Amino acid sequence: MTEPVITQRHFFEKAREGQLTAMRCGHCGELSVPPKTFCPTCSQRRWEPIGLSGEGTIASYTIIRVAPRAHAAEVPYAIAAVHMNEGVSLLGRVVDVPLERLTVGLPVRFRPLVSGGQTAVGFGPA
Amino acid sequence: MRRVAVIGVGVTKFGKHDRTSAELFAEAAADALADAELPASAVQALYYGNVVGGETEKQLHTGPQAASVLGIPTVPTTRFETACASSHAAFRHAVMDIASGTSEVVLVGGAERVLNVTTEESTEYFAYASDARWEQTLGLTFPGVFALVARAHMARYGTTEAQMAAVAVKNHKHGTLNPKAQFQKEITLEQVLRSAMVADPLKLYDCCPFTDGGAALVLVSEEVARKARRPIWVLASAAASDWMLISDKRDLSRVPATERAAAAAYRQAGLGPTDVDVVELHDCFTIAEIVATEGLGLFEPGAGGVAAEKGWTSLGGKIPVNPSGGLKAKGHPIGATGAAQIAEVVTQLRGAADRRQVDGAKIGLTHTLGGNTATVLVSLFGRD
Repeated sequence: MTEPVITQRHFFEKAREGQLTAMRCGHCGELSVPPKTFCPTCSQRRWEPIGLSGEGTIASYTIIRVAPRAHAAEVPYAIAAVHMNEGVSLLGRVVDVPLERLTVGLPVRFRPLVSGGQTAVGFGPA
Repeated sequence: MRRVAVIGVGVTKFGKHDRTSAELFAEAAADALADAELPASAVQALYYGNVVGGETEKQLHTGPQAASVLGIPTVPTTRFETACASSHAAFRHAVMDIASGTSEVVLVGGAERVLNVTTEESTEYFAYASDARWEQTLGLTFPGVFALVARAHMARYGTTEAQMAAVAVKNHKHGTLNPKAQFQKEITLEQVLRSAMVADPLKLYDCCPFTDGGAALVLVSEEVARKARRPIWVLASAAASDWMLISDKRDLSRVPATERAAAAAYRQAGLGPTDVDVVELHDCFTIAEIVATEGLGLFEPGAGGVAAEKGWTSLGGKIPVNPSGGLKAKGHPIGATGAAQIAEVVTQLRGAADRRQVDGAKIGLTHTLGGNTATVLVSLFGRD
């Protein structure tokens, strides 16, 4: 059994420390995050972990006003798909940006959001 | 492979019910068998869609439960779960079952009960169809998923909130012609645009409702179909998938699984988008209808909003979309939706859709999308 290069748990442990981790395919160069077993482009299993800068721009966003039970007390809150400068995307909460300033193309920077011992992906002003 | 036909359809009234999902399915199934003029004893297998039964009814193993409540406890049953596309996935597998020569008569359908819990609860349960660790932890909802699609489509193509609202107005108008629809009331563009924000830019009237209901279809081999009064032939049934995570999708303004499933279905049937006369597609949100009309090849990428605004997708338009009222007005009992869409297209191709009939419809298409756009099924139907 080949050990995965990086597991979901490792990703969030590193993220909690402020570092986003992606994987680069040692065969074709495909960049991927979150972890996958095989490279979706060349089907090889030669991932190498690389650190991301944490900088990106908003590709799309929404402001959630009707939330699932666990998040009902947090509305309104913003979620964005962020295109990272290295070329991969990540979904995260946007914090410390006034909701009316949100726009496609807005530069943002990764920050870990820790709640109840669990880390989630967040983005704040660049 | 053998040809397969639909010879019976049944759909409950959509809306709020005080019966279990198994009872709702049994009502639809009894109607479908009566329509097919076959006894329950003729059924050789049940392929069943149900999604959140484990949450809203504390009920798993819903396949044999539905068969038992219907009174056919010994037939092989399987429950399919591909989020909102569940009974369309069940349908595709039933088609393959008959086409392969394994069965002659298969009952397909689904049911869902969600209006027995609060909106906050059902919002949470529906969100289980997105990734637990990467997405649910952020508080992503299904309106949120399609809001991300909407923003991307607006940014790329200039699609407007008024164009999205036009889809809701059109489907509500169609819904007034469908006595089974949850909403049978016209709404105005102003009402849509002024309704409460759910997930920016999607407002309440951009969203389909939570719905209880059931739907059923009787599928048979060509040999059995030749004895039936008005068989409608399955010309194609195709499925496609896409990345589960929103962040892995490269272009949020498109739904690649729709494009792949449509290409496969058109290829199977030897048909193209211009051959289609009537479409029932997955308008869980208004933007979903716009993107689906583009993905199915009915309009160019970016032209779906304009098509809705100009009435090209209305009854009497170039290509009528969702004459039933769609998920938006007819309602969306998620486990039943795929089968209910097929029931509508079969009714249209029979020429039996009364006031919402698409004149002269010969070829029909159904499109059902699962959850976060990771599952899509497309099927094509034709009459003799």
